[in-house]
Amino acid sequence: MQRLARLTRRCLTALDAIASRVYGWPWNPLHQSGTVAVAMLLALVGTGIYLLLVYRLGAPADSVARIAADPWLGSWIRTLHRYASDLFVLAAALHAARMFAQGRDWGPRTLAWVSGVLLLLLGLLCAWTGYVMAWDTFGERLAREGARLLDVLPVFSEPLSRIFAGDGAVPSAFFFVNLFAHIVLPLGAGVGLWLHVSRLARPTLLPPTRVMWSILGALTVASVLWPAALGSAADAFTLPLSTPLDLVAAWWLPLSERMSAGAAWSVASVIFIALLLVPRFNRRPRTGAWAPSHVDTRLCTGCNQCPQDCPWDAITMVKRDDDRPTLVAHVDASKCVSCGVCAGSCAPMGVGPLGRSGRDQLSVLRTRILPEITAQPSAIVAVCCAQAPASHIAALRARGAAIHDVPCVGNLHSSVVELLVRQGARGVIVCGCPPRDCVGREGPKWLGERFYAQREAELQPRVDTARVWVATLATGDLAGTLSTFDDFAQRVAALPSPDREHDVQLQAECEPVAAAAPATAPATAPATAPATAPATAPAQ
Amino acid sequence: MTPRQSPVQLARAVVVSAVALALLAYASAVPWSYHSGHAARLRLSWSARPERIETCRTLSEAELAARPAHMRQRVECEGHAATYLLRVSVDSQLVNESVVHGAGLRNDRPMYLLRDVDVAPGTRRIRVSFTRREQTDDDAAAFAPAAASDADTGMYAGRAQREATERARRAGAAVPAQLVIDTTLTFADRGVHVITFDPERRSLQVSRGALERSTSPPTVPHDY
Ligand code: HEM
Ligand code: SF4
Ligand code: SF4
Repeated sequence: MQRLARLTRRCLTALDAIASRVYGWPWNPLHQSGTVAVAMLLALVGTGIYLLLVYRLGAPADSVARIAADPWLGSWIRTLHRYASDLFVLAAALHAARMFAQGRDWGPRTLAWVSGVLLLLLGLLCAWTGYVMAWDTFGERLAREGARLLDVLPVFSEPLSRIFAGDGAVPSAFFFVNLFAHIVLPLGAGVGLWLHVSRLARPTLLPPTRVMWSILGALTVASVLWPAALGSAADAFTLPLSTPLDLVAAWWLPLSERMSAGAAWSVASVIFIALLLVPRFNRRPRTGAWAPSHVDTRLCTGCNQCPQDCPWDAITMVKRDDDRPTLVAHVDASKCVSCGVCAGSCAPMGVGPLGRSGRDQLSVLRTRILPEITAQPSAIVAVCCAQAPASHIAALRARGAAIHDVPCVGNLHSSVVELLVRQGARGVIVCGCPPRDCVGREGPKWLGERFYAQREAELQPRVDTARVWVATLATGDLAGTLSTFDDFAQRVAALPSPDREHDVQLQAECEPVAAAAPATAPATAPATAPATAPATAPAQ
Repeated sequence: MTPRQSPVQLARAVVVSAVALALLAYASAVPWSYHSGHAARLRLSWSARPERIETCRTLSEAELAARPAHMRQRVECEGHAATYLLRVSVDSQLVNESVVHGAGLRNDRPMYLLRDVDVAPGTRRIRVSFTRREQTDDDAAAFAPAAASDADTGMYAGRAQREATERARRAGAAVPAQLVIDTTLTFADRGVHVITFDPERRSLQVSRGALERSTSPPTVPHDY
């Protein structure tokens, strides 16, 4: 499974590189696959409502032929409906592949994964019923195959296949049931989508405006230029030479037609069950890098920031069991995906997965990178996300940067950057992933706010921000990475040599955040808690 | 922080998107072969009730009196649903021979038959027979009205007659013991003829749809 995930990752990286080069990483549609699928769902509902108004159950083939022949509205709306369904399937499959490749498919993400598999299945079924509605030769072919598959199940007393035999007209009840399914399935998809994102805090449902409207606009233009083919009306008394086949939404049809119904069911069931079981195969022991976050209650001042930042709503504020007047953060391990975003959110460094709290980050820094800066004071430190493309990191290293990697820039505690600057780094460039491709979902977003918008656990004003820069390392955009680095290097080169402070005192203070903060919480909680673990971390 | 796109990059994005969309448009309706050009098909499709093979016995007055009042049936039958042998020949060559039985666990539900037989286009002599496999000696007991008796008086008056009528109705709803159609059909390229059981005429018939088409050949575009 891990090998398959690596292979998938390699393929996606190659695709990402092309897409980032063509569109620029902020608009790379591949980073948006889940949200593009949602946008397509909306486009399908919009165009579907129009089609429903002009579709006639009593004369399905005629009415669709009439829609297709209407050059003003019908033709392109019908085509847009079809292209949107194809893009929905493609986007959902890509999104699933990305989740799988990035290991975002187990533990608390199981519900999202399983509901995602069901969403994809609903999408395919919906396309199936949609094509049958048109009742052209392709629709009939799909209907026949569906009937053949259903007839081996001990469900219907009379074989469904006889409906299409030609010894009588296809009953309108068939078209009614099909239409009913075509309407109910998207409603099911709506419920599925709600379930899909129900565990996420602040799910991002739509792509950036520019990406969304570009895709919709481009699909509309394509619909006008290349109206979707419609086969001739279904006819039980003629064997069509060929039919149009939708290779995206009905890719399974040629395979299924070549198998016995029993074999087709077996293969489909194996694929379906294997997909559902991915979270089971991919789950890791909740230790080490996968250990859930943990709150050091002695340090927690009850500021209520980490619950605001956690992308999985895994933290709540609960009553303390000592006599301090504040609430205390509590991590629900069953919801925590170990993304580490909370570690960057806590000014007094009281929360984070094992070995990744602010305090742990500082101690790693002291042993690993500070000696390097001391030895080479003019170095620029590049704090890079562990997911960043290796070629970019190698290129930065070749430019003389000292590399300090973090699991996700959302984990990075601002004190780390402060310590680096005050200890004499010429500059610190923090290199994250494109925000919509962050495995921690909101890492680059919170990092930006902590550094530039005073979000709690902010970069302290005493830090010379001229020496700090936040950059994005996007696969396929090495030139962008290098030019950002070079610009920054030039800027810091123009600055006077950095002063190296001795005995740096990092004051970790946090202010209560309005939402759930108790009225009793002190306005500024001196990060003093226990003498054994001071929140002011001396450097070295 | 956000890179800006130069006109060249924009043009490249437009061209790549156009190619991707053209691929999507193509993939959404790829002409996919279905049947060969020189093929035709004979389809048999019908549903019918199998006969019941029953052994019937007229109960004696004493036996009848021993039954609870609501179970007094003068003629008592036991049996099972018949099975049928389907034989299809094209130009006197047997192309399909199979046993057909009723649906359901006890095979006593209606039979649903759907067979597709590939034939070469052209004029073909088609013979389809559907014959009950079980030999029955004499169904006379099942159809004969049982002799009236004392038990058929009062509220039971005319019951023997009613029972006989009911048995006859059931027998009439079943498919005849033998159905045969022997006919000559002209199959156009990619044409389909359907043979079905007509319950009113109680015989196998060629469905009219294909025959009507053979007088005005289908105007199906070549590709789809
Ligand atoms: C079919 C239509 C689908 C739609 C519309 C859809 C949409 C979405 C959206 C909007 C998100 C939230 C993204 C965010 O805010 O970060 C999401 C997350 C997720 N999706 Fe899907 N998805 C679909 C299918 C799938 C499939 C097929 C799978 C896997 C089999 C899947 C697995 C996931 C997972 C695991 C997450 C959680 C991401 C995380 O951990 O950060 N989705 N999806
Ligand atoms: S590591 Fe922290 S931020 Fe991430 S899910 Fe767990 S509690 Fe939430
Ligand atoms: S101090 Fe604030 S951010 Fe830190 S653990 Fe407590 S509530 Fe969370």
